[in-house]
Amino acid sequence: AGGHTTEILRLLSCLSESYSPRHYVFADSDKMSEAKIHSFEEKRAETFPNSQFTLDRIPRSREVRQSWTSSVVTTLYSMLYSLPLTYKLKPDLILCNGPGTCVPVCISALLLGLLGIKRTIIVYVESICRVETLSLSGKILYYFSDYFIVQWPNLKEKYPKSVFLGRIV
Amino acid sequence: FRFKDSLAEDLRRADLVVSHAGAGSCLEALEKGKPLVVVINEKLMNNHQLELAKQLHRDGHVVCCNCSTLVETLQTMDLTALKPFPPGQPEKFALFLDKVVGFQ
Repeated sequence: AGGHTTEILRLLSCLSESYSPRHYVFADSDKMSEAKIHSFEEKRAETFPNSQFTLDRIPRSREVRQSWTSSVVTTLYSMLYSLPLTYKLKPDLILCNGPGTCVPVCISALLLGLLGIKRTIIVYVESICRVETLSLSGKILYYFSDYFIVQWPNLKEKYPKSVFLGRIV
Repeated sequence: FRFKDSLAEDLRRADLVVSHAGAGSCLEALEKGKPLVVVINEKLMNNHQLELAKQLHRDGHVVCCNCSTLVETLQTMDLTALKPFPPGQPEKFALFLDKVVGFQ
């Protein structure tokens, strides 16, 4: 969604050809990300013509400031979509940066890992907006991701298991 | 306007940018070297967007105000005091990720 999409596309900007095919998963309520992704991929195809990518939508797992209990319900509902999708894609790597949409996808990947179906590396990059506090997705995935990246030193101090590379978007 | 794919062209031509505190908007303007006035929406005071605006303000990269002080700010601000904003380095992320997945 919005800012998250812009950030994630910047994160992808320096990745080599080896990171292919790319599967973009975003919320069904998101109207603008599709255009941004197409722009990015078209530009990328100028340098890497054999680039492949797909787009998938899942129900939005949480509205801004939705309550905890109802968020659990809506996230579980999103998982009805994310689980078969993740099973179908069997990604080697999940890169996410914080919209609620990433939680059901990551939980699905973790489940598939626990069941011995596919082990996925989960890399979470907290948004550059987050200087002092983590997002709710961040607070959850801090414990469940393989690598948790923050972009401000304050957060590295508060969350010692995180990785600090400076500003990367 | 909200349906434009990109504001890049408008930004290129602008002498000053007045924006909400959204990360994408702020970063795009700052990276193009445009003086930026960030307007913080009082109705969303607990919005996490404030963290970035405050940090950018602390670091001297932007002028900050809220909806009610915008006019006064535009009349009295000193844009020459703003510090340039160095770009982020996604190449560092690429290097890190290559190590993580084993493409070295």
